[in-house]
Amino acid sequence: MPLLAPLFLLGLAAIAVPLLVHLVQREKRDPVAFPSLMFLERTKAPFTARRHLRDPWLFLLRALAVAALVLAFARPVFGRRETAGAADERRREVVVLLDRSFSMRINRRWDRARASVDSVIQSLSPRDRMTLVAFDRRAAAVTAATGDRAVLRAALSSLAPTDESTRLASAIAVAQQRLASSDAPRKVLVVVSDLQRTGWDLSDESHMQAGTDIAVLDVSGDAAIADRAVRSVAIQRDQRPGPAQVIVSARVANVGPAVRAVTARLEVAGRMVEERTVDLPRDGGAMVTFPALPMPPNAVAARVVLASDPLPGDDAFHFVLQRAPVLPVLVIETRASPFLSRALAIGDAPRFEITGRSPARAGAADLAGRRLVVLADGAFPTGIGTARLLRFVTDGGGLFVALGDETSPRAWPAAARALIPGRITVATDRIDGTGAVLGELDQQHPALAQLSGPFGGDLAAARFFKYRAIDTTAGVLARFDDGSVALTEHAVGRGRVLTFGSSLDGVWNDLPRQAAFLPLMQQLARYAAGWRDAPRALGIGASVRPSDLADAQASLSERWIAIAPSGARTTVGGSGTPAALELTEAGVYELRPGGSPGARPLLVAANIAPSELELASFDALRLTSALTTSASAADTGGVRAEEETLVDREARQSTWWYLLIAATLLLVAESVLARRAVTLAPAPE
Amino acid sequence: MRRDAGHPVSERLTMDPATLARIGNLELVARWVVEGFVSGLHRSPHLGFSTDFAEHRPYVPGDDIRHVDWRVFARTERTYLKTYEADTNTNFTVLLDVSASMGYGHGGIAKLAYAKLVAATLSWFSRRQRDRVGLVTFADDLREIIPPSARHLPNVLHALERATAGGGGALARPLARIAQSQPRRGIFVLISDLYEPAADVQRALAPLTGAGHDVIVIHVLDAAERAFPFQDAATFRDLESGERLPVSPGKVRERYVAAMEAHLGAMRAKLGGGRVDYSLVETSQPLDRVLFDVLLRREFLRTAV
Repeated sequence: MPLLAPLFLLGLAAIAVPLLVHLVQREKRDPVAFPSLMFLERTKAPFTARRHLRDPWLFLLRALAVAALVLAFARPVFGRRETAGAADERRREVVVLLDRSFSMRINRRWDRARASVDSVIQSLSPRDRMTLVAFDRRAAAVTAATGDRAVLRAALSSLAPTDESTRLASAIAVAQQRLASSDAPRKVLVVVSDLQRTGWDLSDESHMQAGTDIAVLDVSGDAAIADRAVRSVAIQRDQRPGPAQVIVSARVANVGPAVRAVTARLEVAGRMVEERTVDLPRDGGAMVTFPALPMPPNAVAARVVLASDPLPGDDAFHFVLQRAPVLPVLVIETRASPFLSRALAIGDAPRFEITGRSPARAGAADLAGRRLVVLADGAFPTGIGTARLLRFVTDGGGLFVALGDETSPRAWPAAARALIPGRITVATDRIDGTGAVLGELDQQHPALAQLSGPFGGDLAAARFFKYRAIDTTAGVLARFDDGSVALTEHAVGRGRVLTFGSSLDGVWNDLPRQAAFLPLMQQLARYAAGWRDAPRALGIGASVRPSDLADAQASLSERWIAIAPSGARTTVGGSGTPAALELTEAGVYELRPGGSPGARPLLVAANIAPSELELASFDALRLTSALTTSASAADTGGVRAEEETLVDREARQSTWWYLLIAATLLLVAESVLARRAVTLAPAPE
Repeated sequence: MRRDAGHPVSERLTMDPATLARIGNLELVARWVVEGFVSGLHRSPHLGFSTDFAEHRPYVPGDDIRHVDWRVFARTERTYLKTYEADTNTNFTVLLDVSASMGYGHGGIAKLAYAKLVAATLSWFSRRQRDRVGLVTFADDLREIIPPSARHLPNVLHALERATAGGGGALARPLARIAQSQPRRGIFVLISDLYEPAADVQRALAPLTGAGHDVIVIHVLDAAERAFPFQDAATFRDLESGERLPVSPGKVRERYVAAMEAHLGAMRAKLGGGRVDYSLVETSQPLDRVLFDVLLRREFLRTAV
């Protein structure tokens, strides 16, 4: 028998009151005055009777009256009596989408969400079936469709909020699939979430099946949110001379009233190295910059931590502190030119380690440890040899060829033709006019994407007075204004070859004197070498391959053991296991190469996705209207259990009237009995 | 014949003591009881306190012929009247015990209230007999003394109204002092609950009886004191000493009743044999019945002596 207000059952404790009063009164009763004790004898155990109730019927009446009153206030509800056929028509398929993203940790959202789901479970009739789907960034059914409340409650109790972000669309897709496959005459979708704005595309209209009852239970609550979070960390090299040092800055955001003197700590390898305080304005942010600290020789886990607040999950930002990676480059040019070398030398992400050689002096040993070979004027390095250079590229190395005076297709061995994207024409001389410009530039391509940024410079300003057009149609990244190909890309084995139709020494063009030259060279070098920046910190939900972290070590093993911040171990790479590690916990992951126990682990820092820290929410009605077709029924206040009239509902809940009447009658009977007992009992003077 | 006399009166007048006590005016109650009682005595010419024969005197017209001594007339054929000393002035003193135990009453009138009614009634009756009435209240010592006088009835009634229960109870000391202060022979009515051994009571009364006084002892008890009807185990507190005693009534009732009855039997035995008239009354008994019984026993005692 369900109760509408079960908390009132605590009032049953009041039954003990008459008993306590009875016992207490008896213990404290005034002594009986008597004229003389002359003929009275002391009774050895005169008070054993106190353990017994003087009038058990009176006590029983009082206890029953209290119990009836308590039950009346608890509002019992009796189930409906119905025929089997009618019950089958009312059979429901219920899918509950329970948000367990990080934002559900705020205040008491998770408790409210669980209570809401529990009430849905409680409202199930014996023929109903329910599927509990937990979702954050992804959605998964934690139970099969079942009407077993114990199973559903056990599944519910096993859930907890994660560090993941919210993506409602995936959960709705699961619900659509579950409800579509059900033959129940009535279908109900219940969404229990804090309706975080970033969790759902407001323009998304994923309609549910016609006739589906939709209930959106917003558990975000009305309580004001006060949260402080470290949103990001920036690491800069300290440019002052001396040992390598870095300066760590953290961006701290505050949601809620202004807070003064918030403590921020910088911890490296688990030890606190610096501490700063910062004043945070209302709903604003501030930067915290820590003093320069020596760069550790190896990668270490670090984090910036704020003083704890009610939502501690975002108080720390984890990152990996490590020296700038090195990209070894072999530059082969006939005439030594400072432009390319200096353009690359400035870079620190990665730091280019440049070795210059002439085509005649370059040897096979120069390829050792290189990631990239630059042929600055296109002359083939015969000292290296065709096979070695081809193998270098095939094995994953990069080759960047800039065509120039020395470039002669005949000078390239036939076996090395695979390194040339196509036929290279004779040089086009545009020196008589204003020169050629780059007329078409694929700025969406990763090799040129950086040039579209605010500091990318303007490649269109560069004048090309002489160039060699590349006769190819595949992999074109840029063309000159006459339509001839200026920059191409093609893959050779696991390596990559970029071919540029003009020189890099400033003779054929004025490109080295353009602002865009430096980022262009660095980006082309990184791209040709297949370089990927090792991320210092990733958002939860990101996937990372070991090869993305450290190419030099990626070859150590194909299988990697990933150790999560919680200590959970997973295997990444190799056959039968995921190729990438999916970050699901905030903290620092360790990746250890399988079979190389002595190798240093790779570190990956994972933090709460920034989108999950945007706590704005949307109205439940918007989701309801988006999911509802014209034939669907929407209910934002709760689950409509069953179609029933108000009279039926009132009749099922009217038990409290009878209990109240019974309590009244019991109290009247108790009063009569008590009066009678007082009259009959001999009373002291 | 004397033992049977008066019953029609008691049957007709059943005055509930509790009802009378609620009236509050002792004079009114006493007058009402006595007048009602006397109005039923026309068939009982032998009742009265005044029994001390004084002398014969010749009949003169106007005398009440009921006082003619017919035995003398039978022997001498002359009409003489018998005169009694008490008809003139007898000291009638009520000795009222006002110790704390007299304040007890279980469900009805308290013993002291009942004793006040009895004292007032007897005083009024005595005054109606033209006796001098007095009052002594005492607990363990004398509290208030109103010497016998023909004009002291209002004082007696007023003192009775003022009397309250309190203090311990002991008969010997106050009765001895009364005996010393009352050289003239008279009638003393002791109204008490007599929570002392019968022998002690007898010894306490000895100064009075030894001085030639007539003593009437009215032993007032509440019905609960005899039947001990309590049910719950409780601590019982002595009203006079304050002593406390845990008692389970169910276990001690039988022995208590037996001890009480033995005590009452000893009282009857010890006090009924001398110049003492002992009457046991319960507070539930009608006043006129008590008055009748006391007078009846008094008369029986007198004639027996």
